[in-house]
Formats: sequence, structure tokens, C-alpha cells
Amino acid sequence: MEHTATYLGLIPLFPLIGAVVIGLLHMFTCKKEPLPEKFYGALACIGPLLSFFLAVVVFVQLKGMEPEDRFLVHNVFTWFAVGDLHIDMGFLADPLSSLMLLFVTFIGSLIHIYSIGYMSADKNFGKFFSYMNLFLGSMLILVLGSGPVVMFVGWEGVGLCSYLLISYYSEDTDNVLAGNKAFIVNRIGDLGFVLGISFLFWAIGAGGFDYLSLRANAPALTPAIGIAVCLLLFIGACGKSAQIPLYVWLPDAMAGPTPVSALIHAATMVTAGVYMVARFSFLYADYPIAGSVVAWVGILTALLAAIFGMFQKDIKKILAYSTVSQLGYMFAGVGVAAYSAGIFHVFTHAFFKALLFLGAGSVIYALHHEQNIWKMGGLKDKLPTTYKTMLIGALALAGFPLFSGFFSKDEILFSALATGHIGIWMIGVFVAAMTAYYTFRMIFLVFHGKPRDQKSYDHAHEPPPVMTVPLIILAVGAAFAGVLNLPGIFGGNLKVSQWLAPSLIEHHPHMSLGYEFLAMAASVVAVVIGIYIAFKKFGQGAEEPEFTGFAKFGYYKFYVDEIYNAVFVQPYKGFGSVISRFLEPNVTDSHVKFSAWLYRKAGNAFKVFQVGYVRVYAIYMVIGLSVMSLFLSQSIN
Amino acid sequence: MFAEGLFIGFSVLSVLGALGLVLFRHPMNGAMSLIVTMISLAGLYALLSAKLIFALQLIVYAGAIMSLIIFIIMFLNIQESDLPEEKGRLTYLIGGSVVIIPITLFLIKVVKSIPNAEATIVGNGFGGVKEVGLVLYQDWLLPFEIVSILLLVALIGAVVLAGKRRVIK
Amino acid sequence: MIQNYLILSVILFSLGILGVISRRNVFTVFMSIELMLNAANLAFLAFSRLHESMDGHVLVMMVMAVAAAEAALALAVVILLHKHKGKLDTNVFSLLKG
Repeated sequence: MEHTATYLGLIPLFPLIGAVVIGLLHMFTCKKEPLPEKFYGALACIGPLLSFFLAVVVFVQLKGMEPEDRFLVHNVFTWFAVGDLHIDMGFLADPLSSLMLLFVTFIGSLIHIYSIGYMSADKNFGKFFSYMNLFLGSMLILVLGSGPVVMFVGWEGVGLCSYLLISYYSEDTDNVLAGNKAFIVNRIGDLGFVLGISFLFWAIGAGGFDYLSLRANAPALTPAIGIAVCLLLFIGACGKSAQIPLYVWLPDAMAGPTPVSALIHAATMVTAGVYMVARFSFLYADYPIAGSVVAWVGILTALLAAIFGMFQKDIKKILAYSTVSQLGYMFAGVGVAAYSAGIFHVFTHAFFKALLFLGAGSVIYALHHEQNIWKMGGLKDKLPTTYKTMLIGALALAGFPLFSGFFSKDEILFSALATGHIGIWMIGVFVAAMTAYYTFRMIFLVFHGKPRDQKSYDHAHEPPPVMTVPLIILAVGAAFAGVLNLPGIFGGNLKVSQWLAPSLIEHHPHMSLGYEFLAMAASVVAVVIGIYIAFKKFGQGAEEPEFTGFAKFGYYKFYVDEIYNAVFVQPYKGFGSVISRFLEPNVTDSHVKFSAWLYRKAGNAFKVFQVGYVRVYAIYMVIGLSVMSLFLSQSIN
Repeated sequence: MFAEGLFIGFSVLSVLGALGLVLFRHPMNGAMSLIVTMISLAGLYALLSAKLIFALQLIVYAGAIMSLIIFIIMFLNIQESDLPEEKGRLTYLIGGSVVIIPITLFLIKVVKSIPNAEATIVGNGFGGVKEVGLVLYQDWLLPFEIVSILLLVALIGAVVLAGKRRVIK
Repeated sequence: MIQNYLILSVILFSLGILGVISRRNVFTVFMSIELMLNAANLAFLAFSRLHESMDGHVLVMMVMAVAAAEAALALAVVILLHKHKGKLDTNVFSLLKG
């Protein structure tokens, strides 16, 4: 059938093979003579680049098909076939997954190339690239999966790689604890996800458990089950994509190397939740209540994270909270049933957030791993390429008109307004102002004014081209990606939304041109205000303030981590220690010890028969024989 | 008639000999009783028309094996003090009889169920050297050879066991 | 009557077992084993006479050969045991005591 494309299976396979090969090479050589870094670097970039090439091939092939019929399937093997449960390890390439595929592999390849420079002189170079390739392979399985179970395989895989890469600098226990936190909080979300797909299977799984069949059978769901499934799946998304209340792992995840933060915690893994909601658009579109929950949780997360971001002093933490905030926007978008708007924001966010993270990595690399912005300053002359590209990224993030972020954010806000969610729209505009403020606070403090630490300023120099060229490429994307989805006002015809239409169930809202223009103007004004306030406070150089009152509360992230620790973590640990100190020795161990005691006593009792005299053993034999004869003589009449 | 009398005589002798073996304290007395049993058994074999085996019993068993046993008994120069003090001998004997009686009765029961036949003495054509030889060297050739190897092994074993050993002190 | 021979064989065999289990003297035990072998020989010959076949005779010869070999070895072991401990009591050798 023309819908089968056997090369789909190769797309996740190349990075996975790369991970295994690099991992084995590293394991067997790291104790003796480590292989040269260029070798590992080249080997590591082959997989992602090949996958990117294949992603382009997929895109081209899909473009050549009729819009209603645009999908390619490849079932590699049958995984389970038990009763009603028939799950294939299959891959589905339709417009949605092909879009995700393109930017995941593209940005993934760029970040791999960047990491060759950033991670140089690290002694576990090979291990890093093995994990990165493994991550990319898992992410591709997630995106390409033909059903919820295959997606879950990738879901778990990216969670694992996130843990491995966050605790990469494992000599410091804090990093390992951060990795643990990421994995555990993720797990809580995964429980929701598994319950969601279990309910889904229970209700409509008999007709096949892949997306195409589920979409066809979705009308058979009762509202109660449907809403329950939507909310449970969203809990999974909260864990993976860091929404309230499971966002606490993302700022701590900045303990990992910067390319990891760029790839995993900005561009790809954290968007898996948004992708999942878009994939299940056939469910969420039927139950607007669930959609509203998603949208409100999203926008409130955006607000909360923006507040935290305004006060942070670690450059990566600012970007981390910014990621949480932008993810909130994406969920607001898919929550109000504007799925293509949300996915488009995923697309543009991947470019400019990866750009910002890699730029921050460039700054950190130049200043020899200094991350406190109050120790930076005036770097725009020393790091010109980094400055220019980061400025483009910041403008895109803030939503300055004509950059990519402007178009995608605006599309979301417009959809919120058009579907009647005025509250979400207002909060969204306010958060846009805050976004602009904290982004430019960062830019001004890092690159403008006078250097605050003269010694590190003197030693700073532009990083090598292997790091700056990806920055430039990403900057181009961040600046011009908006062209792909120009709305009607600007003369475009929402090409990305049109492309995505066969995969999603969407209703495009319409408003009069006047309202659309008004909404756009409101967000532009908010952005300009935000940049202006940042300029006034930080543009001419400022000193680190003493936080008091609300600012202090915000700096300490509303003490959420401490509250979680006191309410959840400590009681759980206490429960565990009660079990290990009282329950285990007295309840379970005693039973085991008892049976051992019983056997020993029985053995001692039977020892009496082993006298050591062979004659006595012969007597035992004869006694046995005699008893046997007694029985046998009964049977011989 | 004559055969019946002989049978009864020989049987009583063999049982008495066996009882003597079991009951005598000194092994020399026991060996002598065993020789009596073996000779009477030889007579019983003759009554069963087993001419060759009758001769072999006398020559090999009563002649060779028993002499070997008596030789060893005398070689070890057993005094009264060397013999074990079997205090509970009677108890053990009575206990043993109690245990053995079921086995004996069961076996006798089995035996009684076999169809009976007269054991007349056959003159020629049964039990003689020629007949035994024919069967031995035609049907039972392989076991014959293996038994010869067995004897060789036993010979080597005896030499190794009782020969001069390197003293490891 | 063949049955009588067989009953006699059974009685001799039981007496042999009795000798093995109730006496402590090494020689007596060994000779009781020889008694058991003889009882088996008698049974073989009785059956051979019953079935008019020579196979029983051949087996009796085999048994005699085995008994001879066993006598040689057992007596060698008895000599060694006497050299080792100086006693002829089977109860002295109790290394298997567990």
C-alpha cells in the first residue's frame, strides 16, 4: 500500500545505534586511553544528521500526497497480540509528526555539533554523546509512535535520558539529587498518563490501539470517561512539560550541562506534553471542559513562572523559568482548542529557546563557568556573535513584532480571545509584558553596562566556530520562522495551520478584523512597556539589590520547593524509615527466620538416626524391607 | 524314598549349620558350621541333578573359599580378648528375628504359589559338564569373559589392599 | 518337590540376614553374606531343575566366581582394619556418624 514507508523505522534507529556504539567504545576505552574527541563528536553527529535527512524525505513525500490522505505508516513488528490488546511497534508520519520530526532532528543536530565545542576537555566525552544520542532516539520514538503505547516507550526513554544527563556531573551530589527530582516528579505524571491510556483502552481499545483507530472510535466514549481520560493524560503532560504542580524539577534540571538544558529542557522533551495533547485533539476537542482546565493551568503556570523569572540571578534559571512560562502559553493554546497555534509556538520556541540556552552556554564557557548575572556585564564587545544572536533570540522570546515569537504567541492569544476566554487573554498579555521585562533584564545585565567582575571580563573570548555557527543558524530560524504561519492580516494564509489540519480536529475561530488588530496592538504595547521598564532599571548598569517583601518571596520561588519537601517528601521518608526499622525486622524477617529455625531444628532431630554404624544402616534397610513385605503379602491372596 | 530321606537329612544339617554360624561367638566355630552347611548344600545340589555344580561347590566353596576364611581367621591370631563383647547379642537376635519373620513369610507365600513338580534325579543330559559347558560357551560367552576380567580386578585389588604400603607417618 | 527346596532356600537366606544384622563380629558378618549367596545358588538350581534349562547352572557358576572375588577382597579389607584398630568389632568404625 502506498502508505507504507519502511524507512520510517530508521529515523529513531540511527541515533539509537549511535548511542550503543559510542557507549560501548567509551566503556571499553575510558579506563585506558580515551579516544580522540573529534572521533566521538563525528560519530555522535552522524545519527542526528541522518535522521534529519530522512525527516526531510518524509516531509517531501507527504507533501506529494493528497491532504486528506497524508500519512505514512511502518509497523516494524507486532509487540503484543493478547486478546483485545494488539499493539505493534509502529511508526506514523502524518503532518503533525513530520513537523515535530523536522525541528527535533534539525535542532538536535545543531546542538550535537555545538556540544563538541562546549564539552571539550571533559573526561566523559563519550558518555555524554552516548546519552545525547539515546535521548534523540527516544524522542523520535515518542514523536513517530503510531499509538499511545509506543509514545509511552519514548516518553519513558526521554525521562530516563533526562535523568542521566542532568546528573552528568555526578561528582557533586546536588546534581544527582536534581536528576532524582526530575525523574521522580516525572514519574508522578507518568502515573496519570498510564491511567489515562488504560482507561482509553478499556473503553475503546478493542478496535485497535493506535491513533488512527482511536480517532475513528472516539465518538464511542461516554463523557465521563472522555473527560477523565483527558485530565489524566494532562497530568502526564504536567509532569513531562513542567506545569503546575509538577514544574519544580525544571529549574533544578539546570544542574546539567548547558547543551542538555538546550536540547531537553527547552526544545524537545518538555514539548512532548503539548505534542501529546495535540495528538489527542480528537479527545480534547469533544470535551471543552477538559480543554479549559488545560488552558487555565497553562496560563497560571505561565504567570507564576514569569514572576519567579523576574528575580533570579542565575542566567540558566532565568531561562528555565522562561521555558516553564512559555510552556504555559502552549498549553493555553491547545487548551482553547487552537492546536495548530500551540504547535506553532512549540516550533518557534524550540528555535529561540535553544538559541538563548546555547548563547548562555557560550557566555558561561567564555567566563569559565560563571553563571551569576550579577558578576557579568559589558560583554557585548567581547562576545559580539553571541550578543547579536542572543539579542535576536530575546526579541523573539519577548514577542517583538515581526520576529517568530511574535507571530506564534499572538496566534495563541488571539485564539484565546476569539473563543471567549477573556481572562486567559488578559493574563496572557500581562505575562507577555513580564516576559519582555525579565528577558531584557538578562540581556542588559549580561551584555550592557560596565563589567562587574573585571578579572573574568578580561579572560573572556568568543568561543570557537563549532559553537558560534549553530548560534547563527538558530538565529536565522528564530528571526524568520514566523513567515511560515503568517496570519491573514499580514497577507499570509496560515501555512503551518493548513499543513497540520489533517492531523488535528480544530475549529478556527473568527473575529472581526478590528478585534484582531486590537488584540495584536495590546500585546505589542505590553512588550514595549516591558522592554522599557527593563531598560530603565538595568540598561545603564545596576547593582545587585537586596530583595525584600514580594521580591524576596518571588526570589525564593514562593517557597514551593520547601512546602513540597515538608508536606510530601519528609512524611514519605518517615514512613519508609518506620517500615525499615519496625515492620521489616518484626513482621517479614521474623517469618523468614522462623522457617530457617524450623528446618535447623528438624535437621537436628533427624540427626539421631545417623549413628555411623553401617550395621545399623543395614538394620534400617531390613526394617524397610520387612514393612514392604507386610504390605505386599496382603496383595498375594 | 531314599531321595526323600536324603533331602530331609541334608536340609536339617544345613539349617543347623546356619544356626551355628549365627549363634557361635568365636568365628572359628562359625566357620566350621558354615562348612557343614556348604557340604550339605552340595548334597542338595546333587539331589537336584546338578552334577557339575555339586563338584564345584565342594571344590571351590567348601574347599577354597572356606579355607581362605579359616586361614585368615587363624592368621590374625584371635584371642578371647580380641573378640567383641556382644552383650546385647540375644536382644539383637530376637529383635532381628521379629523383623525378618515378615520377609520370610512373604517369600514363602510367594514360593508356595509356584506350581509344584517332582525333582527326580536325571541321569544323563542334564546338569553334567557337557551340558553346562555347551550353554556356557554358546549363550553365556560374554558374561563368562566379563567375569574373568572381574577376577583379574579382584586379584589386583587384593594385591594393592594387602600388599606393602609406603608408610606415611 | 521343588517347593521344598525353595522354602529351604528362603530359610537359609533369612538366617543369613539375621546374621548380618545382629552380630558385631566382622568375620561372622562376612560369613553370613556367604550363606546368603549359597541360599541364592540353591534357589537358582531349583528353578533350573523346574524349567529343565541349564541357564541356572551357568548363573550359579557366575555367582561362585563373584563370591570368590569378593571373599578375597573382603578379607584383605578385614586384615587392614585389624591392622588399623586392632579390634574385630564393626561398631568401632563409626566415622560416618553425623
